[in-house]
Amino acid sequence: MTDPEPQAGPPAERPAPSGSDRRTVLATGAFGALMVLAAALVIIDAIRLPETNAVVGPAVVPLPIGILLGLVGAILLGQSVLRLRTAPAGVQWQPKALLRLAGMVTALVAFAVLLPFLGYVVTSAGLFVAAAMLLGATHLGRMIAYGWALAAIVFLVFDRLIGLTLPTGPWGF
Amino acid sequence: MDQLGLLLDGFASAMTPGHLLWALLGVTIGTAVGVLPGIGPALTVALLLPITFRLEPASALILFAGIYYGGMYGGSTTSILLNTPGESASIVSALEGNKMARAGRAAAALATAALGSFVAGTIGTLALTFLAPVVADFATTFGPPEYVALMAVAFITVSALLGPNLLKGLAALLVGLTIGLIGIDSQTGQPRLTFGVDALLDGIDVVIVVVALFALSEAFGHLLTGSGHTTVQPLRDRAVLTRSDFRRSWPAWLRGTALGFPIGSLPAGGAEVPTFLSYSMEKRLTKHPKEFGHGAIEGVAGPEAANNAAAAGVLVPLLTIGLPTSATAAVILTAFQSYGLQPGPQLFSESGPLVWTLIASLYIGNVMLLVLNLPLVRLWARLLTIPAYGIYAGVLVFATLGAFAAGGTTTDLLVLCGLGLLGLLMRQADIPVAPAVVGLILGPLAEQQLRRALTLSEGDPSILVSGPITVTLWAVVALALVTSIAAPLLRRRRVARDAVHNG
Repeated sequence: MTDPEPQAGPPAERPAPSGSDRRTVLATGAFGALMVLAAALVIIDAIRLPETNAVVGPAVVPLPIGILLGLVGAILLGQSVLRLRTAPAGVQWQPKALLRLAGMVTALVAFAVLLPFLGYVVTSAGLFVAAAMLLGATHLGRMIAYGWALAAIVFLVFDRLIGLTLPTGPWGF
Repeated sequence: MDQLGLLLDGFASAMTPGHLLWALLGVTIGTAVGVLPGIGPALTVALLLPITFRLEPASALILFAGIYYGGMYGGSTTSILLNTPGESASIVSALEGNKMARAGRAAAALATAALGSFVAGTIGTLALTFLAPVVADFATTFGPPEYVALMAVAFITVSALLGPNLLKGLAALLVGLTIGLIGIDSQTGQPRLTFGVDALLDGIDVVIVVVALFALSEAFGHLLTGSGHTTVQPLRDRAVLTRSDFRRSWPAWLRGTALGFPIGSLPAGGAEVPTFLSYSMEKRLTKHPKEFGHGAIEGVAGPEAANNAAAAGVLVPLLTIGLPTSATAAVILTAFQSYGLQPGPQLFSESGPLVWTLIASLYIGNVMLLVLNLPLVRLWARLLTIPAYGIYAGVLVFATLGAFAAGGTTTDLLVLCGLGLLGLLMRQADIPVAPAVVGLILGPLAEQQLRRALTLSEGDPSILVSGPITVTLWAVVALALVTSIAAPLLRRRRVARDAVHNG
């Protein structure tokens, strides 16, 4: 799969996140908010658990975890709000980054839904092509060949050799 | 001498042609995947979990031992030639080794890393052989209260060590603990956090969480930031050491090993601390201080040895008390659990032949790595020219395969995608994913032990501090908490004072 295109490379070329730039602070705030939401769900779920005969019921661990989730989430959210104004600009995302991410999520959902109907080789090859193109590959034909070859090898090794049953689809692979 | 006999039995089992083949396959796959940039040993093992699903336990664990050591080895190649550490413990190799490579000394850097890894891996495995049964014997005296305290130590130290600060580490840990709650409560049969979704009644498979948080989030991250450009340093010579390089390397290997194994064996150890300690020790002891920061061979030799010795050390708490103290160890624990094996003191008594076969295969894998890798280093270096889009598209294919193999339903793949997005948010927020995996794996075990302890005492929580071991362990928890809160404050105050002092 050696390719002369320039997209090659590791994350090392990206500037490392400093941990206090604007994007990190925003992401931390979003994560904190998500934790607070999760805390509410965990606590409500724990409270509605019925009493049992056990000395220690099923809610004894979820309750403190829910409370801690809420506390830590609230602190992260609070810290982010305080730091947001002074946070410097962080790592620049590439053009259409969120669109690419949405495309990848769509490809994964399509893979999950179509796998039982179209079989492993076709859907995995499709996933590889979609992922490679979204990640910056330019030669569609070459990606289809690589994707098809990888999916076929994986199918042969895991399904036929190791015995892990993979969905076959209407054409038997 | 009992251990020696058991180890020889282990060798007899590990030296069968079938097992040798698995070991060879493990080190080859481990090295190949470990070499790929951005893929460290934890991700390597996670991605390759499905390979072992249909194997008998001994073959699978031998394969894993090979993948684990091979992944560590491959990571150093990437660090040196591409300046891309697969995990934090390889940062130092990247620092000093890549400088050597840029100065045209890539072959010497790779050779000292390979030989250092071999020396440290062998001594570390030897120490594991004799230490592990002793620790396991001691751990058989542990009851539920001791286990609760021990897991509290693991939770706090992992949160404090594997993240930028305690708060973010705790946030990650809580994510793992919460995911661990999903499913039917094993003691009362009550469904928790399932929200009426039948597919969640069995909980979320650890493999899916591990693959999503490590592999998917990494691939998603590349979508946002782009993949940059490769700057692989060319490799001109054979990977051999000159006499002078060897003279400078071997003391560093031994010092690195002496630091790496004992620290790696501690529940709070991990591989990062000894690696950095080794680097600073070599910097202090070197006769070539001017070379440091510009490609000093001791700066690669010591930390690489410390890194590998710690990897063997990490197996001590993992095998003897079931405590994973690094991300890779957490994934290996998952592999054990997928075979219905629970690492801990009983592992040695109940599955002794299996454990000794595994330990013997670590020695074999180590030798294979050296024999295989020094001549083939050019081939591994060629892997670094694979474009990032190819690597991460391949990672996605293997990630979905792993999730499907673990669960086998569309829901599992959708959960994988959702958790991958959560992992991406965590990476963007600079929240480490490793404590989440540790929390997910140890959370249900800690809950089980806590409820067992409280049932024994009829609900009296004082049982949790009822013996000298528990009191000591809770003191360690308190100390770790105070240290991780106070240390950054002191550091900040010192920086502020220095700033004022410097004008």
